[in-house]
Amino acid sequence: MGVEIDRRSIWLLLFLRGLRPLFFVVLGLVFWYILSLPVPEGLTPAGRNAIAIFVLCLILWVSHAVPLAITGLFAMVLVPFLGVLDEKETFSLFGNEAVFFILGAFILAGAVMQTGLSNRIALAIMERFGSSPRRLLLSIFLLSASLSFFMSEHAVAAMLFPIVLEIAKGIGLKPGRTNYGKLLFLSLAWGCVIGGVATFLGGARVPLAVGILRESTGMTIDFLSYTVSVFPLVVIMLAVGYTVLTWFFPVDIDDVGRAREVLSRRIKNMGKVSYREYAVGFILLLTVLAWMFLGRTLGLATIALTSVVSLFVLRLVRWKDIEEYVNWGIILMYGGAITLGTALERSGAGLWLANTIIGEWAKSPYVLVGVLSFITLLLTEGMSNAAVIAVLIPIGIGLSEKFSVSPAIVTYSIAVPAGLAFSLPMSTPANAIAVSSNYLRVRDIMKAGVIMSTTAWIVFNLVAILYWPLVGMG
Amino acid sequence: MRRPVNSRVQGKYLHNPGSLKIDLMLRGIRIDGSVSEGEDIEGLGIDLILPRNIIANVPCKEEFTKDSPYVLKKKGKGYVITDGIDEVDVRVVPKPEFYRKKTSTGVPFSKIGIVHGSYTVITPSPRCEFFHSNIECRYCAGNFDVNSTDRVYSVDEVLETVEAVMKEGSSRIIYLSIGFTKGDDGGIEFLTGYIREIKKHFNCLVAVEALPPKHNRWIDETYAVGADSVLYNLEIFDSELFEMICPGRASLIGRDRYLEALRYAAGIFPSGTVASHLIVGLEPPGSTCMGIDFLTDIGVVPILPIYRPSPSRALRIEPLTAEIIIPVYRHLYNAVRKKNINMNWVRDISVVTTPIESGYLVEDKGGFKGIMESFYKSKIGLKTAWGLSTIRRKLRVRDVEEK
Ligand code: SF4
Repeated sequence: MGVEIDRRSIWLLLFLRGLRPLFFVVLGLVFWYILSLPVPEGLTPAGRNAIAIFVLCLILWVSHAVPLAITGLFAMVLVPFLGVLDEKETFSLFGNEAVFFILGAFILAGAVMQTGLSNRIALAIMERFGSSPRRLLLSIFLLSASLSFFMSEHAVAAMLFPIVLEIAKGIGLKPGRTNYGKLLFLSLAWGCVIGGVATFLGGARVPLAVGILRESTGMTIDFLSYTVSVFPLVVIMLAVGYTVLTWFFPVDIDDVGRAREVLSRRIKNMGKVSYREYAVGFILLLTVLAWMFLGRTLGLATIALTSVVSLFVLRLVRWKDIEEYVNWGIILMYGGAITLGTALERSGAGLWLANTIIGEWAKSPYVLVGVLSFITLLLTEGMSNAAVIAVLIPIGIGLSEKFSVSPAIVTYSIAVPAGLAFSLPMSTPANAIAVSSNYLRVRDIMKAGVIMSTTAWIVFNLVAILYWPLVGMG
Repeated sequence: MRRPVNSRVQGKYLHNPGSLKIDLMLRGIRIDGSVSEGEDIEGLGIDLILPRNIIANVPCKEEFTKDSPYVLKKKGKGYVITDGIDEVDVRVVPKPEFYRKKTSTGVPFSKIGIVHGSYTVITPSPRCEFFHSNIECRYCAGNFDVNSTDRVYSVDEVLETVEAVMKEGSSRIIYLSIGFTKGDDGGIEFLTGYIREIKKHFNCLVAVEALPPKHNRWIDETYAVGADSVLYNLEIFDSELFEMICPGRASLIGRDRYLEALRYAAGIFPSGTVASHLIVGLEPPGSTCMGIDFLTDIGVVPILPIYRPSPSRALRIEPLTAEIIIPVYRHLYNAVRKKNINMNWVRDISVVTTPIESGYLVEDKGGFKGIMESFYKSKIGLKTAWGLSTIRRKLRVRDVEEK
């Protein structure tokens, strides 16, 4: 940590500091106002209270006035306090399968990174396929995407960033001056974003969405069905992504010989593949296969936690090394989000809200999917994608009944676009990491990102209309 | 044999506390036999409270003081200073009680902290990397201090000292001082632990006297860790004399870096809390005045100590009389006032004449200004300054992830 001295006028700073308490006072008043409103027709007092909690959490999640996890905990306190659910039920929701699946996925990804396996795979692929500027670019893009099938996209971006930075420096690219520098970091970021929606493992948002779905309706989505449903979208977006990248920023170098030297040197420094790397790789492979073929019978969390236990039984990792890879904040936030989603659903508030907000102008199931995916894409650019899910899924599930659409379809319509944030650094850590390289300006990522977001919306809806019925969803 | 006393100054400066302080510091004072040679006049100087509560550390043991027209005498239960014609009442500042006590590790507190009026100066490490390398500042006595042990005082020892100072109420401003260190941080990394702990345990203001760090981020750090005031003492404004008299500072830091660091610090710290010494007597008065103008232009408070000559180092420009240097102090007051720099921070230091004291050379300080000054000097005034300084720091300092 370093320090920075804010040299703006002291009065302005005082004013800005004063805004925070003022914000909380206003928020408290809004909360109190909703609680004191007469209960509208079609809603129960518990439903009104659930909406008040929802609005409060929505504002806190959007504004980041307190950490996401703390808002999640706040929801867990308010739900029983205002009599929406009883205390026992509220806290038992924290034990949701999704929460433990995410915990297991964090630990598995931590083990893969800690042993150096992921780094080795990345380096080997880039060295093997990156013989020309275009091929190197493509290998970074596809590598980021394919690693994000198995690990959190944020972790992939963080892991590959130093390698890509070293490549950029090795080639002698000047920050902000060359297209190729922009291309390298954008392909890293977008590869992660696109790959991150392909499976349950790319981010914790899909498990969260499925968790809320299961708590609210008893319905679930398994690992394989999810991947099969979104696969065409991923393939098309990868093709579109590469085209948009090279169209916006034409490749402006001819040779990447020095980049390959960097990669060879790094690989050499890693030494030979260790027993731990083999073993962790094998466990990961078994885990993914089990998720795909046994997920429905055994449960995703059970498989994840079994793999985690085996990592420790075989002494492949130590808790001390893994601890830093577990994002406890996200886990807490998810517990709260699932509780809130369930509270909205069980109190009937989700349905009431959905009818009031979207139900008026969404006239058909297609429009519903279109509208939900559009709103999600828009919100996810400015909000944490997990928060978008926590906010929209209960509303979407509420609407599914009205249009006789499966709640699972609605879950897809929100969970998938929530991961497709291309345009702003604050939308997702992968974009933020790419912009922090200084090779890329916010303007660059915005310009091309708008095209990507629009294309993503169109492709998603086409996949929903044309492809999903073919795989038995509709 | 006693040399004849210069009679030309008699009666001239005695009744203005500003000019009296300057002349006393320039010429020193003789101690009459009626004043017992006790605790109060240990060391080279004696701390006196002049009219208007101006505190001055007056040389009384050096050779040059023997020519002084001023004599300190006992009168009844009190003391007076006479210049042979007239006299004024003064008080002798008793040596702080804590000077007699020791830290739990057995170090006398007087070795760690020295009270200079409202400030207590603490030098946790007496080392300066310029020592013994022939590039030390030519006027600096540290190099030749045979009693110096090179012992670094621990944070706990310093804390015990500050506690003793606070308990006795000797001063509420702690002034941490450090010589030249080789790193690029200007010694701030070393002082950080001391500043933090002092701030954590006591409601006092902390000033840091150091050499400018190489990078401005250390100035940010100095403010962020809790320093309320910072001093980078240029000492001499004239560039050639600076190189001659301060060869280490000139070659390893450079005059430009001094000025740049002072300018930057003045943008970070509150008005009136960034200061720099310009030693009167080591360069022509005109050059000191140019230094005053430059420093006040960039928002820095110049502090003008008077060089105390020693027989082994004949650095003083001659002649140096109150008549010559009083206009320099007047210029100081006017320049600081013109630039609207807060004068209340740097005040009541016994070893220098501060800008606010120089005001007595220009105008009579009664009415509202006098009330404000009394407020700043009072306990409640200091508490207010401490509170405001703390709030300001809380507002301005932001933690950032290092890239
Ligand atoms: S910097 Fe100069 S004045 Fe300060 S201690 Fe070192 S030699 Fe002495």
